[in-house]
Amino acid sequence: MKNIIEVKNLTKKYKNLIAVNNLSFELFEGEILGLLGPNGSGKSTTINCILSLLKFNSGSIKIFGEYMEPNSSGLKRNIGVVFQDIALFEELTVYDNIDYFCGLYINDKKVRKKYIEDAIKLVGLQDFKKFYPKELSGGLLRRLNIACGIAHKPKIIFLDEPTVAVDPQSRNNILEGIKKLRDNGATIIYTTHYMEEVEIICDRVIIIDKGEIIASGTNEELKCLASIEEKIIVECNNFNDNYIEQIKELENVSDVSYNNNILTIYYTKGKNNLISIIKYLKKESIEYNKIYSCLPTLNDVFLELTGKELRD
Amino acid sequence: MIVFKTFLKVLNKCKGIIIFETALLIFFGGYNIETNDVSINFVSSNPNILIINSDKKEGITKNLINYIENNSNIVDIDENLIDDALFYRDVNYIIYIKDNFRNNFINNNEIGIEVKSTGDYQSSLAEMMLSRYLKIASIYNEISNSEEELISYIDNTLQNKSEIETTSKLNTEKLNKATVYYNFTNYCFLAGSIYVICLVLSSFRNKNIKMRTIISSMNYKKYNRKLLISCSMFAITLWLLYVLLSFILIGSIMYTTHGLLYIINALVFTFCTLTLAFLLGNILKNKTVINGIINVVALGSSFLCGAFVPMEWLPDYVINIAHILPSYYFIKNNELLKTIEVFNFDTMKPIIINMIIVIIFSGLFIIITNIISKRQRKID
Repeated sequence: MKNIIEVKNLTKKYKNLIAVNNLSFELFEGEILGLLGPNGSGKSTTINCILSLLKFNSGSIKIFGEYMEPNSSGLKRNIGVVFQDIALFEELTVYDNIDYFCGLYINDKKVRKKYIEDAIKLVGLQDFKKFYPKELSGGLLRRLNIACGIAHKPKIIFLDEPTVAVDPQSRNNILEGIKKLRDNGATIIYTTHYMEEVEIICDRVIIIDKGEIIASGTNEELKCLASIEEKIIVECNNFNDNYIEQIKELENVSDVSYNNNILTIYYTKGKNNLISIIKYLKKESIEYNKIYSCLPTLNDVFLELTGKELRD
Repeated sequence: MIVFKTFLKVLNKCKGIIIFETALLIFFGGYNIETNDVSINFVSSNPNILIINSDKKEGITKNLINYIENNSNIVDIDENLIDDALFYRDVNYIIYIKDNFRNNFINNNEIGIEVKSTGDYQSSLAEMMLSRYLKIASIYNEISNSEEELISYIDNTLQNKSEIETTSKLNTEKLNKATVYYNFTNYCFLAGSIYVICLVLSSFRNKNIKMRTIISSMNYKKYNRKLLISCSMFAITLWLLYVLLSFILIGSIMYTTHGLLYIINALVFTFCTLTLAFLLGNILKNKTVINGIINVVALGSSFLCGAFVPMEWLPDYVINIAHILPSYYFIKNNELLKTIEVFNFDTMKPIIINMIIVIIFSGLFIIITNIISKRQRKID
């Protein structure tokens, strides 16, 4: 696959704080690369360095084989960015907002008009063209924000947490839209701290913490890094902490936790575990509302690698 | 083109304030024009005088009383109510002619005249009248052989009247109208430019929009230049609008050299308001604060510098404070223009100096704006 972005040994410091430490990765044509990490892990700083919005201390960044500079207008023509914060003119309608941001790249009116219509269709704002931002819901605003960033049909799109504070329905729409962009030939860098989103749309994931890459690979590759194979969750109200030690002694159990009436049991191997725990609960007469088994998530991987949860 | 197009769309949202400012200008500028008609006809003014004569009404005493009666309104008030009459301005001046005034005057002894006055300009007129009579009478008393001869001299002298002819060809009425109108534009230029440019800049320089613009393929310096040109075009349009209105409201005087200088003076001030608006636009990020700032800057400087109230009515300390504001020099020029009859270097010098001061203010605002912009870029 063709290499689109190449980041080598990138380091960015804010006085004594190292925001990004010796970071290296590549982005390949046509993929969606997820940058996953908790708040303050260095995701946005990395993106800002790539976009030349921030000067970095050392390392190199190449886009399409060329070094990225603040005045690389040729390269910038192929880049679209959707920031985490909404960047819109309150005084302009949905159509005019997209027209403005698209117009920063495309001068030809006819071409621009077609591109704007395409962007509006992609994010599903056909019925809101003449609405002003203040008349839109949070989800629609996010969609408009995305449309403004991608209307000029860039080859590389940076999406910085585009689904923050969005309702589930709008989130699904946004994620579907991102997949469509990829299908239309765009290469995407997607930063988020929502692991579910990464699992749904990303072809490859880089997990960042404290400015360093702690793991990278496909979803499956990353999940293999986890020492657990299965996780069983039990919702029970009258659970006594004394049972925890007993459960730990059951076969394949690596760890047990009980928080907010949720009992979580981690297994190193994933066969017949559900039956054995149900038997145990019955034997001890522990009442439960719900019990289910699930596979390890990226959050589990993150937890195991860093000792903390993604959304801590 | 997209920057200019978007500028116009954002500007369209501010059209209400421009219409409001223009309506204010037409109403107050136009109203002032109607109520400030200054003609050069003079109307005589007679003070109310009460004469309390304790002497016999004969000879010089009679002549004095007749002179006062002929040149004032003689009022009749009960002596017990004199103080009240003075307080309520029913009488402006009271002359007490004491017993034996006639003999004392003829013999050059101390004359017995006492006065009471309200201290206003009408009483000053009465005092001037009395003083004039007594001075003339004293002079002729030295050379007259008899009281009849003295009275004859006094009457002849007091009958002399001077013919006054105003030779000025200035159309003071129209010039006064133009001055009132252009003084009021001080508020309109300041409020209009600052409000609109600050609002537009706060939208374009919103942190997130700015970031999107920086990462776009449009050169950011070019983008800023386009924004600057758009704001300048707005300010020039505002100036043209107010100049056009002045032609409609004031008329013929605007086609003269005076009119041209009013227009040039306004153009220089427009440039200054533009630079001030850029400075404030760089400082103010919050749209709700902008309204408050307009009140402070536009209304404040208009009041302090005499845009609404004539400068001569303002106390000295206010005028002293006004010297630190560019509006003062703009308004001062408008006031000077209405008095200039012949245009030469000497008469134009103070006007040119005031314009240069306004330009210096503009330069100062540009320098401060650049310093603030550089600091902000470093912080960003």
